[in-house]
Amino acid sequence: MLQGTRDLLILRTLLPGPRYGHAIAKAIEFNSEVVLQVWSTDHFIRRCHRQIKRSWISVKEGTSENNRRSKFYRLTAKGRRPLDLETRKWDKLAGTIARILRPAE
Amino acid sequence: MRRRRRMLEELDADIREHIERETQDNVERGMTPEEARYAAMRKFGNVTLVKEDVREVWSSVWLGQLLQDVRYALRMLRKSPGFSAVAVLTLALGIGANTAIFSLVNGMLLRKPPVRDPNRLMVVSSKWAGNGGEWDRLPVSAPNFLDWRAQATAFNGMVAANFDDYTISGGTMPERVSGGRVSCDFFHTLGVAATLGRTILPGEDQPGHDHVVVLSDGLWKEKFGGDPGILGRVIRVNGNSHTIVGVMPRSFRLWDFDARMWVPLAFSPEELAPAARNTRFLRVFARLKAGITAKQAVAEMDTIAQRIAEAHPDTNKGWATAVKSLQEYSIEDGNVSTALLFLTVAVSFVLLIACANMANLLLARSLARQHEFAIRAALGAGRARLARQLLSECLILSLGGAGPGLLLAYWGMRALRAQMNWNEGAVSLAKTIQLDVRVLVFALVISAASAFVFGLLPALQVSRTDLKEGLRSSTGGRERHRLQRLLVIGQIALSLILLTSASLFIEGFLEEVRASAGFNIHNVLTASVSLRGLEYYGAPHREAAFFENALRNLGNLPETESAAVTSDLPFSFPNEKDFEVEGQPVPKPDEQPRCGYFIVSADYFATLQIPLLQGRGFNSSDNSNSSSTIIVDRAFARRYFANGNPIGRHLKVIEGSGARDKWMEIVGVVGDVNEFLGQRDSRPHFFEPFQAYPSGSMNFVVRTRSDAAGFSDGLRRAIWAVDGNQAVARVRTMEGVIADAGQGDDLMAEMMAAFAGIALALASIGIYGVISYIAGQRMHEMGIRMTLGARPNQVMRSVIRSGMSVAGIGVALGLMTSLALPRLIAASFNGFHASAVSALVAAPVVVAIAAFLACYVPARRAMRVEPMVALRHE
Repeated sequence: MLQGTRDLLILRTLLPGPRYGHAIAKAIEFNSEVVLQVWSTDHFIRRCHRQIKRSWISVKEGTSENNRRSKFYRLTAKGRRPLDLETRKWDKLAGTIARILRPAE
Repeated sequence: MRRRRRMLEELDADIREHIERETQDNVERGMTPEEARYAAMRKFGNVTLVKEDVREVWSSVWLGQLLQDVRYALRMLRKSPGFSAVAVLTLALGIGANTAIFSLVNGMLLRKPPVRDPNRLMVVSSKWAGNGGEWDRLPVSAPNFLDWRAQATAFNGMVAANFDDYTISGGTMPERVSGGRVSCDFFHTLGVAATLGRTILPGEDQPGHDHVVVLSDGLWKEKFGGDPGILGRVIRVNGNSHTIVGVMPRSFRLWDFDARMWVPLAFSPEELAPAARNTRFLRVFARLKAGITAKQAVAEMDTIAQRIAEAHPDTNKGWATAVKSLQEYSIEDGNVSTALLFLTVAVSFVLLIACANMANLLLARSLARQHEFAIRAALGAGRARLARQLLSECLILSLGGAGPGLLLAYWGMRALRAQMNWNEGAVSLAKTIQLDVRVLVFALVISAASAFVFGLLPALQVSRTDLKEGLRSSTGGRERHRLQRLLVIGQIALSLILLTSASLFIEGFLEEVRASAGFNIHNVLTASVSLRGLEYYGAPHREAAFFENALRNLGNLPETESAAVTSDLPFSFPNEKDFEVEGQPVPKPDEQPRCGYFIVSADYFATLQIPLLQGRGFNSSDNSNSSSTIIVDRAFARRYFANGNPIGRHLKVIEGSGARDKWMEIVGVVGDVNEFLGQRDSRPHFFEPFQAYPSGSMNFVVRTRSDAAGFSDGLRRAIWAVDGNQAVARVRTMEGVIADAGQGDDLMAEMMAAFAGIALALASIGIYGVISYIAGQRMHEMGIRMTLGARPNQVMRSVIRSGMSVAGIGVALGLMTSLALPRLIAASFNGFHASAVSALVAAPVVVAIAAFLACYVPARRAMRVEPMVALRHE
């Protein structure tokens, strides 16, 4: 997987609002239609901790939908910058690759 | 930190939650609970690894690994105590020498004078250019100072000081102290206040109101026991009563202008007379106005000086001004800053040589450790990690060297402080030498920096090590060999350069010492007496009587062989007078012959054993009634009577006042005496009889029958028997006079010799190490050769040859560089003479001998090895 993509996916998943840990993983899996299942959970935890340390996301205790206490992750103001940057990088890359694969007729 | 602990504590719960939820999802998808849990675990991945990784995210990995490196390095160093000891000692020498010299530079360049806003306090001096030189630190005359002060607008206050020796008495033994007559706003302009009492008030510079005195902290403590009730007490300064009004803080030491007491400067009518414009004796200080730059002040003073020169051409023609901050003024002092530059370069060479040694040792060791490194690499250590570990070892060695290095530096600094005593400037500089925070930081920084310098090469080598090669038994390292040789070549070249310059300085110093003084310097005691007090004021016959009586007392003592007085001692520059020579054309005013003169008592030449070459010496008949006799020295005779006998010829000495201008008959010619150490061409002088020209300021010279230094008290008693109120100052043997005149040349030579010695020792260790190493490497080859019939001598010769070829390149490189040294040193130091040839021959020979010995010892060992042992050696 491309460098920085995991971070991008986590940050993007948190853009609409806070979610608890497992929900993020599930959302990525669900949205990618399980294509990204290769991404095992341990990688996800590792990335999360790294992002917390960099203050891109913050953690808060909360209660999940079925009344279980759980950790909620939230995108911070500081995290929006890398999200923006990585998104733009991806768009550019995707656009470029698309142009190469399907040159304008 | 708290967050870190919480995150790690909750990690297990997080992992569990993920797995549980996944299990639940799987159950919902229809798996059996067991299957669901298994699938969830599989999906999760490696639990232990994620824990470790997360811990790494949160721990400061860098710090942890550093601690690990340090621990490992300490263990490695403990395992090879010999290597560690050599390394620490080598570095201690390098770091210690550098720290000691830095403390000197630190004191010299970074010190600030103890005044308010020191950068804006200027020293304004007279400047005179001519005779192929420019002197810009000359004192100022009183009328010029008053004109400057009235006309200059760039300054917020301009003050003058006349620094001189004063005799203080009153109660205790009379004592000569350095002191200053200062303008009443002197302390105000400098921006310093008294710690006790007050400084000098406005109006106290008027004649009649000037009987106050301010003491330095040192004088207050030494002479008055730091008595807090001292204010109001009356002491005698040069015989006049002065009331103590204040004591200055201990920190107030004005470097080159240090004084132990200050009295108000009230100009006498003579000092203000028109002719006195030519009598330059004042030091002028001025504070720049806010917003005015030093450059603007210089420009303004130039204009003023030009104006004064035009108005008073007879006294001021050719005289300009120089404006410098006190700092600049002191740094430009003579040869001191040049000497510091040389010393700094010399010690950095020493450190470089030490680093080269370390690099060599480490390279040799890294071969031995190749196996270890290969194993560590195989177990997963990255190359960067290995290199970093080696560098940590270097850093620890270096810091280990900094400890004893600082101790060495401390001893060195103490020795320096004790030896820097040849004049006020040197003493004040010596006081700034101390182990302060800046010096400590410097020591740490250079040890860290040298760790990188000497650790880098071996670290690069290690990180390039081929894994497979390393695990196999290694024979190799052609490249390492070459590196080691290069390092040794560099060491030898550097130590040769150091040794050559040290020899040049020593040579120069010895030449000074050996240079014939022109008289017998042994067993001579000297002392200086300046008569102070009303009874001597304007009474030359009383002054003459004092010295005559003192000489008679001395002559009666059994210890005395002979005694005399002179206006100036040898190895100092005497005052000068204009004169005319009989029978030679009357010169134009600015081509007037002028030379130094001495006023001496009758036995002067006999006492110092200055040879009488022609005619006679002075005798008691040369008294003031028949004062028409004069004696000249050989240089004078040669210059003015090149082809004729000077005896019986006449000189007219121009006294200025006109009254005593009369023709004097030359009655004798004596040998030359030098004005400074190592002087090659003696300058002409003449001698006038003391009885005819009595003066209140004379120097005693006493030739003793035994040890001169032990006669100090006898000399004082004999003088005080005549007048107990006079200070007997600067009691020194003639050897002491000469040492003081050396201005630290001996110190410079000693220091350079010490650095060169250290450098040579380090370089020899370096050669020894490399040759032993090469010999060890060739052990196998030797064994084969010897079994095939080579003689032990041949083997030894071959080892020595391989070492000496390396040494030879180093010597050649060093010698080529050294060729430039004699000229460089002579150009950098005023009055430096040394015959370069001996230094340029001796230094390479010494280095070559050291290199040979360093090769010989391991080569001999190689020769003695049994062929069978050598063959088995691996």
